[in-house]
Amino acid sequence: MTSFVNALPGAVTQGLIWGIMAIGLYLTYQVLELSDLTVDGSFCTGGAVCVMVMLAGGNVWVAMAAAILAGMLAGAVTGFFHTKCGIPAILAGILTQLGLWSVNLAIMDMSATQRLDVNQHSLLVSLRFLKEVAKGEKPFYMYPVLVVCLVTAVVIGILYWFFGTEKGSAIRATGANANMARAQGINTNVSKLLGLVISNGLVALSGALLCQYQGFAEINMGRGAIVIGLAAIIIGEVLFGRLFRNFGLKLMAVSLGSIVYYLVVQFVISVLNINTNYLKLFSALIVAVFLAVPHWRKNLRPRKASKEVPHAGN
Amino acid sequence: MLEINNIVKTFNAGTVNEKVALRGVSLHLKPGDFVTVIGGNGAGKSTLMNTVAGVYPVDKGSIRIDGADITALPEHKRAKFIGRVFQDPMMGTAASMQIEENLALAARRGKPRTLRPGITRTEREEYRQQLKILGLGLEDRLTAKVGLLSGGQRQALTLLMATLRKPKLLLLDEHTAALDPKTAAKVLEVTQRIVERDHLTTLMITHNMRDAIAYGNRLIMMYDGRIVVDAAGEEKKNLTVEQLLNLFNQASGSDEADDKLLLSK
Amino acid sequence: MRKWIALTLALLLGLSMTACGKDEGKFVVGICQQAVHPALDAATQGFQDALTEALGEDKVEFRLQNAAGDANTCATIVNTFVSDEVSLIMANGSAALQAAATATADIPVLGTSVTEYGTALKIENFDGLVGGNVSGTSDLAPLDKQAAMVKEWFPEAKTVGLLYCSAEPNSQYQVEVVSQELTALGYTTALYSFADTNDLAAVTEKCASESDVIYVPTDNAVANATGVIDGICRPAGVPIIAGESGICSGCGVAALSISYYDLGVATGKMAAKILTGEADISQMPIEYAANTSYVYNKEICDALGLTPPEGYTPIEK
Repeated sequence: MTSFVNALPGAVTQGLIWGIMAIGLYLTYQVLELSDLTVDGSFCTGGAVCVMVMLAGGNVWVAMAAAILAGMLAGAVTGFFHTKCGIPAILAGILTQLGLWSVNLAIMDMSATQRLDVNQHSLLVSLRFLKEVAKGEKPFYMYPVLVVCLVTAVVIGILYWFFGTEKGSAIRATGANANMARAQGINTNVSKLLGLVISNGLVALSGALLCQYQGFAEINMGRGAIVIGLAAIIIGEVLFGRLFRNFGLKLMAVSLGSIVYYLVVQFVISVLNINTNYLKLFSALIVAVFLAVPHWRKNLRPRKASKEVPHAGN
Repeated sequence: MLEINNIVKTFNAGTVNEKVALRGVSLHLKPGDFVTVIGGNGAGKSTLMNTVAGVYPVDKGSIRIDGADITALPEHKRAKFIGRVFQDPMMGTAASMQIEENLALAARRGKPRTLRPGITRTEREEYRQQLKILGLGLEDRLTAKVGLLSGGQRQALTLLMATLRKPKLLLLDEHTAALDPKTAAKVLEVTQRIVERDHLTTLMITHNMRDAIAYGNRLIMMYDGRIVVDAAGEEKKNLTVEQLLNLFNQASGSDEADDKLLLSK
Repeated sequence: MRKWIALTLALLLGLSMTACGKDEGKFVVGICQQAVHPALDAATQGFQDALTEALGEDKVEFRLQNAAGDANTCATIVNTFVSDEVSLIMANGSAALQAAATATADIPVLGTSVTEYGTALKIENFDGLVGGNVSGTSDLAPLDKQAAMVKEWFPEAKTVGLLYCSAEPNSQYQVEVVSQELTALGYTTALYSFADTNDLAAVTEKCASESDVIYVPTDNAVANATGVIDGICRPAGVPIIAGESGICSGCGVAALSISYYDLGVATGKMAAKILTGEADISQMPIEYAANTSYVYNKEICDALGLTPPEGYTPIEK
């Protein structure tokens, strides 16, 4: 158990980093109601671009900005396939993701992994800072949990503002009811494209943070990202859905959902001491359980409620 | 105001499911015209409406609004000129968004969407006033999600959204068909009030012959992709349900009750 | 809200500072193995055996975690080790090493099954000494000797195709060096890379049709799909020289073999010296496999009508 407690800050940091990816996914999956599978590829694109820009001597902020732009470009490609070529969104995402494999490899100079050495570059977050700050070797404001918390807060703040603007409202309307959106003069194709661009920009930012945190980018680092993202969204919804109604709070719930997911993973590793070969199985089970909870609630509640409240329906 | 010239629309052309929905329809509306449209199922009423709105392109013919040719414009660009209310109360509003957000979206119809706030304080006050006109008590529920409203409330809201920025043309596609008679009457009454107040050029499809006669200054009946009856002015005013049924039987060349049943008195 | 965040942070900071109780005099060694693979398993086993023998059973406790092929999980695993303040981390695989080297600058990190430390850790002008808290063993069988094997077996051949998976961090380095060596020996070389096992067959077809001999490096993707490669190359009559005996037993004619178990043992001995204070990890250069042996695949040699030169032993199946 002490092992689990000791590992908490690391698990929380990882959860927060993946949470930014999950927030990006939330924009397509929940706001636009599109299933975007670009994510598995654009996550790695973010990491790859970040590492390569830094290896070329770029500063960490430049590297992360470049990563976000690269992710946005990937989102734009999926958006183009979907809106201009009439390819179903899920397939458009798969195509981009597939193509990105080669692109990511090319970005990483045809090498499957690229190391980003924390000793040679000044990084925003690193696994190492957890201990170094705890020991007092580094100032408190470099504490990864704090840093990623701030990044997440800024991301949520910007998104909250943006989705309150005319353009952002148009995107929300497109997801809520495309017929109505078009009838109100909204170009739903532009909305979808914009949504995919923003979403994949965030996914790439998350990838850029993760590669700094773990010290390397790897060609398969985005594999399964979509599952983690969906898990975070669903866990957030199940645990905090009733409390958080406001858009900004809902995004926070996604981030919290991601933290919970990583706490469970860490718990499985540290406390249950289960063979990590079964980690993927556990991930699948976690997601399945949280997906099932709303279903169970829905199926069980009316019977109970009908006894207590005569007019339970709307 | 609206000029529809000889439009033809065929669905699933070249397949066994081929269906000619419009066989060369022409219709000219003067500014301020309130035209009611009746006809049996498959007569082409909704297709006519949807081609005007730009939901799908026409095979032949042209559509002009206020002199401008809109035949090739996509749906969202035509929205600048056209306000629409649909048969399905779910279709005209975004259920997961608030009443005021829906109105704010409608208020920006035809304008570029920028990074300015999606809704402002002054707008809210305006919406409150507008909602009062509906008389449904929605003015006190500005931040309620539209999904919580009844079908009638949603249709009234959609109507308000369609007319919030005065459209050159208002399209009502059986917008009371899904409502109970009492609510339907209420929504129609509000429709009449808004159309008269703003002198809106309106095209209203209805299943109800009484309504078709009672509302508007012109009535057209469609059958098999064509306009078969076009009555205006005094002629329209003096129509009775009985006469309409006779006209319908003449047009369809039968007096079978099946088609009649599709039109309710 | 802000208060709430501050509170949580303070709590987390506090938690991370509480050291966990450990048995005095007992070394806790964290092993992060990157994937499930017979070679990596053997290295882990060798490491544990050697370290247990050197220190005694009651003096060392192993915490073995397997990332099951997901590089991101390596970060989670080493985070656990570092926060538990283990005495030493053994990183079995490149991503495991990269994650461990990132996670800590104090706890000694020993890598194994890593082919080229200069590439994996991005060290320019790598001279065999990583320095700091990192060292380990390399699974690289001498590449010049492997190139010489091609000459020994196929002196008449003209073109050599090098087949590898572009997603394997170590393969790129190996094929580049072997390609240079072969060119120096007078061969024409061409690289054939595939992205994953789905493209493997098509790329192998192309490689087999354009080459007299094929070389495959130590490559996990190839190791998993030797059946496919053999199914294409044997009928085409194109022999394969493999980077390790596992691949050779599946589709090759010959290989220069190293034992991953021995490699693990070497790593375990290094660990013992570090833990007992006998040696300073920052001064320990990367070690290579002590014993290499030449092996051949009798079945495929017979099928292709090849006779192994002196000094080769058949691979036992």
